[in-house]
Amino acid sequence: MFLNNLSHEIKLLFRSQWLLVLCISTTLLFAFAAFNGNKNVEKRLKDISKVTEVLQIKDSIMLSTLSKIKKGEVVDGPNWRLPSDPMTIGYRHPRLAIMNPNEFSFIATGQSDMYTHFKSPTIYGNNFALDYSEMINPVQLLFGNFDLAFVLIYILPLLIISFTFNVLSKEKELGTLRLLSAQPLSMINWLLQKTAIRFLIFTLICVVSIFIVIAIFSPNSLKDGFSMLGLLALLFAYNLFWFVLSFLVNIKVNNSAKNALTLIGLWLLIVLILPASINQIGNSLYPVPSRLKMINEIRLIKKENAESQNKIMDEYLRNHPELAQQSGKDNFGFWHNYFASEKVMEEKTKPILVEYESQLKKQQDLISLFKYLSPAILVQQSLNNFAGTSEKHYNDYKKQVFEFSDKWRNYLAPMLFKNQKFTIKNYNEMPVFNYNNRIKNNIWLSVIILIFTNALVFFLFNMKSLKNKSAQEFMD
Amino acid sequence: MRNIIFKELKELTRDGRFKSALVISFVLLLLALITGINQYQKSNQQLTESVSKERTIWETQGAKNPHSAAHYGTYAFKPKFALSLLDYGVTKYTGNSIFLEAHNRNEASFSEATDQTSLARFGTLSINFVLIYLFPLIIILIGYNSYTKELENKTLTIIKSQGVSSVKLILGKWFATITPIFILTIFTFLVIGVVLSNIHDLTFFSWSSLIILLAFYLIYYLIISTITILVSLMSKSSGTSLVCTLLIWILFSFITPKVATNFANEAYPYPSKLEFDAAVIEDKKNGLDGHNPWNEAAKKLELETLQEYGVDKISELPFNYSGYRMQKGEEHEAQIYKKQYDILNEIAIKQNKVYEGLSFLSPFISLRFLSMDISNTSDKLHWKFTNAAEKYRLKKQEFLNYDIKDNSKYGERGYNMNEEKFKQLPKFSFTPPTILEIIKENTQNILFLCLWLFLPFAGLLIFSKNK
Repeated sequence: MFLNNLSHEIKLLFRSQWLLVLCISTTLLFAFAAFNGNKNVEKRLKDISKVTEVLQIKDSIMLSTLSKIKKGEVVDGPNWRLPSDPMTIGYRHPRLAIMNPNEFSFIATGQSDMYTHFKSPTIYGNNFALDYSEMINPVQLLFGNFDLAFVLIYILPLLIISFTFNVLSKEKELGTLRLLSAQPLSMINWLLQKTAIRFLIFTLICVVSIFIVIAIFSPNSLKDGFSMLGLLALLFAYNLFWFVLSFLVNIKVNNSAKNALTLIGLWLLIVLILPASINQIGNSLYPVPSRLKMINEIRLIKKENAESQNKIMDEYLRNHPELAQQSGKDNFGFWHNYFASEKVMEEKTKPILVEYESQLKKQQDLISLFKYLSPAILVQQSLNNFAGTSEKHYNDYKKQVFEFSDKWRNYLAPMLFKNQKFTIKNYNEMPVFNYNNRIKNNIWLSVIILIFTNALVFFLFNMKSLKNKSAQEFMD
Repeated sequence: MRNIIFKELKELTRDGRFKSALVISFVLLLLALITGINQYQKSNQQLTESVSKERTIWETQGAKNPHSAAHYGTYAFKPKFALSLLDYGVTKYTGNSIFLEAHNRNEASFSEATDQTSLARFGTLSINFVLIYLFPLIIILIGYNSYTKELENKTLTIIKSQGVSSVKLILGKWFATITPIFILTIFTFLVIGVVLSNIHDLTFFSWSSLIILLAFYLIYYLIISTITILVSLMSKSSGTSLVCTLLIWILFSFITPKVATNFANEAYPYPSKLEFDAAVIEDKKNGLDGHNPWNEAAKKLELETLQEYGVDKISELPFNYSGYRMQKGEEHEAQIYKKQYDILNEIAIKQNKVYEGLSFLSPFISLRFLSMDISNTSDKLHWKFTNAAEKYRLKKQEFLNYDIKDNSKYGERGYNMNEEKFKQLPKFSFTPPTILEIIKENTQNILFLCLWLFLPFAGLLIFSKNK
């Protein structure tokens, strides 16, 4: 029966030009989305190369000045601005902490449009309080991007709905169901096979067109076969979810217009209403901690700090006797005072910021639990994780910048207090930042959860229907 | 025609789908309203507390050197506007406080969205979310088969045999489609109005803004209704009509705005923050710097001042030149920032023009911009707020620098401004544009909405005549 069904279905699809429509629409949608995603990645890389170039120019000037100083030649500019002063390096020549995109970043814009991908933490200032948001027209963030994630999450289900909403009801409406009822077949099996055939055809078209598009726009990503397979498995599982829904609606509702409306209603619920409601209710129940309150607290500390500036210096030296011994308190200049005060400030504000961050993390973890309520959210988060553009990636990037900045400061600060000069050797020795993607993409876990959900939905709502129903029952 | 309208409405009251859609919308509206009020009150309270705490911090900083106070700075907070309860607009993507300090013009930092998970990118359930996404769907649900059902049930010939003209029939159906949604929308706005007027500490609420906003939403619903009836008129079956109208809805609400984002970004890319900062630093290098009296511009200023007062040395000037120079330096730097921010604003305007230009593909975009603007939650308002904050920063700097100029001596070390004087600094206040100004700024959006209403309606009349 399956082969009969298959050849019949393919014949039907060919005649109705559905296959052509699907092939063209999916390829065009994927191509346009991948093109846009690629443009976003290109802009990101272009911005990175621009800032890298500027840093290289600044560094080469700095190195030539250092070399002149070493040779004892006269150099322009006031003393406090010379790169031989470690604080000049710390303040005027900060290092770049770059977060490069990964091979799959073009798939999902995720949070990449609102965060910066390079940061230059200086020797002073609170590293915890750095703002990582990027300059962007907020209207762009409001409307979002037309990327592959959008096509996969929003548009493909609609194509699936239009491809499957009347598989059974059409037969009923055309009167061919009567003919089918004359055949010795199980209607459920017949419908299951028909839907499965459409599912396989649809998924095949998607897989082929996504392969072609990726081969054109990001050929390098094909090299990572395992990740590609994960992406395709996610696509498979998400498509399957919509086919399962459509199958159920076909059985339960069994009227073309009503099927279409029910499926559109489910689409609305899953990709629009549920995520928006979860977001709103989640943030009402577990609000993001107040930044304003945090700012107030930090300002109060800053105020107290300013009032006891001189005391702080003594305290700082008491805590760092090894630094005081070498230079003598009286010789301390602006930077010593400033640095010491900032250091104390940082230490005092750190608990507030750590507390804020931990509260925020708790809130984000709670909210991200809701992803299991809608497959659309699960797929969105998986794609963002896969593309390296999820909030987890940016939180970890912040952490890595912080770790790096600490290391770099600890390299420079002792030089200030020991009155050491910064040289070319130090330049070569200084810590450099290398972004390391430490977030596991867990795409296979999402695939398993989705498949499990599919099975659950299928059997839960379909137990009764799976019994061998006759065609007559569907005609009623 | 009246009979047609009554008949359609009666049928609608019997339609279970319509009833369920209505119930779902009500539940969502209620949910949006309750959570919205909750969040509004919470964030308003936080804002009021922060404003007063920040002011107290400023006023109680004790006797201090004015320039140190300038570096210590203060914050300008964006007020919460009444209609932001209805439409959140871009608020969560823009920060709500700006740090005002000496020498630097800072951006509003730490937007709500940067603290949220990517779930937030699906959108937030607000009243506007229901009004702009779901109400059009109710219209589609009511109207998609208004003509095709007569064809399918073969009742068209019966109706026509009673002497009803096609135009009257279609107009009747059109009225029947818009009536329920009009009643629903007016009721929703009325409830919002009543709720808003009963919330304490509400700022900038006006019924006129709410009514004008209502009018634009109604125009949008008229557009959707007209298109739905037109598609139904042109379709052979209800199924085709439904698929076509839904496709139009998706094109309007999702695809066109997202495509516009990519077009806008490609045509007018924003510089990165580092790039922007580098441009400012570059300009500052060649400009007047309040801390470096020996740079060229400052020297020129010094010469001019000496000439103006007819003295040879700055110590002979009747005021402390340091304070004067610092203020001039600040103004010069502000000019640099203004130049760079104007460039940025120009890019934002051009990007928004791309969106507005694509309104010929989607009236949704026009309505989205109008709704945000009237609710004072748009990017335009944010620009106005940042400009107002910058103006205030300069005033604050002048207040502090001129204290040095007028009350200290040149070369005097350890001068401190009196503690009481900090209280004399005027408070920051921001008034949003009036509704007339907003309408003026949105003439193109209004024009597009009118065109979208007129053209399909003309099409509807022409088609119905030919039927």
